[in-house]
Amino acid sequence: MKTPLKAWRSSLVFRVTGTIVALSIILIWLLGSALFSRVSSGIFDEKLKLSILDAQSTARNTQIQLSFSKYQDKAALTLVFDDILALPPKTYESAAKEVAVFSFSNIEKTFKFDGTSNQLNPNSIPISLRETTRKTNTTQWERTNMVYLDGRVEPAIVVGNDLTISGVGKYEFYVIFSLAQQEKTMSLIFNYLLLAGVALTLLIGLTTYFAMRRLIAPIQDAARVAEELTKGNLDLRMDFQGEDEIASLGYSFNEMAVSLQQQISRLENLSKLQQRFVSDVSHELRTPLTTIRMASQVIFATRDSFEPTVARSAELLISQIERFESLLTDLLEVSRFDAQAAVMEIEETDLVALVKETIDYVHPSQDRMIILQAPNSPIMVDVDPRRIKRIIRNLVSNAIDHRENNNIDIRIVETENEVSIGVRDYGSGFNYTDRKMLFERFWRADSSRARSTGGTGLGLSIALEDAKLHQGEIDVWGERGKGAHFVLTIPKFAGGSIESKPISAQL
Amino acid sequence: MTSIMVVDDDQDLAEMLGIVLTGAGYEVDLVNRGDEVMALFTSQNPDLVLLDVMLPGLNGVEVCKLIREVSMVPIVMLSAKGDKQDVVAGLEAGADDYMVKPFDPLELVARMKVRLRRSMTEVNSELFIGNLKIDQIEHSIIRDGQVIALTRLEFDLLVALAKEPGRVFSREALLSEVWGYRPATDTRLVNVHIQRLRSKIELNPEDPKIIITVRGVGYKAGVPGSSQ
Repeated sequence: MKTPLKAWRSSLVFRVTGTIVALSIILIWLLGSALFSRVSSGIFDEKLKLSILDAQSTARNTQIQLSFSKYQDKAALTLVFDDILALPPKTYESAAKEVAVFSFSNIEKTFKFDGTSNQLNPNSIPISLRETTRKTNTTQWERTNMVYLDGRVEPAIVVGNDLTISGVGKYEFYVIFSLAQQEKTMSLIFNYLLLAGVALTLLIGLTTYFAMRRLIAPIQDAARVAEELTKGNLDLRMDFQGEDEIASLGYSFNEMAVSLQQQISRLENLSKLQQRFVSDVSHELRTPLTTIRMASQVIFATRDSFEPTVARSAELLISQIERFESLLTDLLEVSRFDAQAAVMEIEETDLVALVKETIDYVHPSQDRMIILQAPNSPIMVDVDPRRIKRIIRNLVSNAIDHRENNNIDIRIVETENEVSIGVRDYGSGFNYTDRKMLFERFWRADSSRARSTGGTGLGLSIALEDAKLHQGEIDVWGERGKGAHFVLTIPKFAGGSIESKPISAQL
Repeated sequence: MTSIMVVDDDQDLAEMLGIVLTGAGYEVDLVNRGDEVMALFTSQNPDLVLLDVMLPGLNGVEVCKLIREVSMVPIVMLSAKGDKQDVVAGLEAGADDYMVKPFDPLELVARMKVRLRRSMTEVNSELFIGNLKIDQIEHSIIRDGQVIALTRLEFDLLVALAKEPGRVFSREALLSEVWGYRPATDTRLVNVHIQRLRSKIELNPEDPKIIITVRGVGYKAGVPGSSQ
């Protein structure tokens, strides 16, 4: 499972959908709350208007009722008021409607009367409204909560008027209208709006998601196909339908894949053709070369019976045929590398024994020209022994060619995963700045210099290619007149890589 | 006189080989086509065959198989390609040795001598390797009274291992002992022949008991008399 942050970063669909949903939530919220406040104030205003009219008519009727009554004492008055409070007329919409009466403070004690209908808590009438009602003659209103003595609470509008009993004084008269119905309507509207908002948001989110998915799908498909193409699965193509922009992407993409495939197969054919050519040339060259070689050997064997110049010619002939042969072998090897047709044959091999063997092969005489420093125990490595042998042979013959009668030091040092073979000579050396050129084909340190032992000029280049096949490296140090140091480092195990170098070429 | 059959489609090379080999004291028959080999082979019965891989009519690998059906004569393949598949195919078809053109004629003659000498000199003794008895007088390999047919090279290879039972032979050592190679060049030769030999003498070539592989070093002989 992706973390949201990662999904946000990696998925365009996720990001776009998220953004659009967030924006629509804000917009729907703004619109919804504006709509709600307009509707709620409209409903309230309507109710208020009706309530004021209702309260005024109730007050008028009560006033009339009071005007026709006679009040000798408090008992009579209480009777009348109780009658008024007992059955407050319902509103036409049959919402709860309560009544409250309070006598003004200047009324005689005998005629004082405070009371509410239906056990309404007198505190339900706000003090501020009572004050303004006492001070003015006009109708006043305020919002409040109806609180009953049994604890019930309802939102309400309270409208205040005066009542006057001639000869007695004034009374505050409040009619309280429950807003429960309106409140219920409002909450219903709020719920609907909320539901509509959520539904709309979901709809927008899902629409965006699926639209994006549909839009993105070909792009994802393209990415997948491109990945497969990269892996070498060149036959894969994109699926697309119609003639829209996406289809044109698919079309162009497939065109690209086709042209890529053609190019690659053309190059492959070319490479195969070249390999074939090289192999054929090699075959065609080898057979006559064998004949020439045998012929020269026959001539060489009988050179004693020739004149000195002819005898010398026979010697030159045979040595040049040898050189021609090694050049042919090296050229074939190089062309195999170029065609990437070099095949590794990995075997578990003791590198110490291999190096000793190679030294004996390159330089069989027993004088102490080559000094080997190696561990006594075998160093087992997974390598192609033929190639490693060839690298060592190249490095050692190179050192022998340039040693100028000094000794050659060969060292083998291993670490846990790597092993290095260092070949150090103390001969002519080379300019350190030329170190990269050493591995170039047919490069000569000094082109005017006579070739000493007639290396092919390909040895180091082949050695480097061989090392690379083993994930190895050849480092080199040298200084004119001080000699050279070549270090081959390879991982010990197949598939490994070099992390450290047991021997550094730098001295 | 020892007779050598040279099979090569290149007439000049064949002629040159004839000159060199005649000079070395052999009697030489030249054949230029692969499909002409068998007729001459049966009539001349040569002591050794030098066989080019690329031949008109029938290629060298096929010719090699045909010869092996009727004879255990030493066969040395001559390959112009030196490519792995060629060499291995030739060896698997039953060739004893191979030379990659352009070869050194002296080395060719030296190797031929090894092949011819080994197949002629007999040592007067019996050897045991694994559950096999090697009768060097009869030049035969016997397991439980049954004779197993081997080429001369395979016989030599087995004898080399059996002669020094405790010794682990590196591939290079085997090359120089059995094939007469100087500092060894190609150890595939050994691998292929060991495999061929095992397929003939081991009861289960997947789990060899007579020629045992010593990882990273080479091969050694199994304990004489050990049951499989």
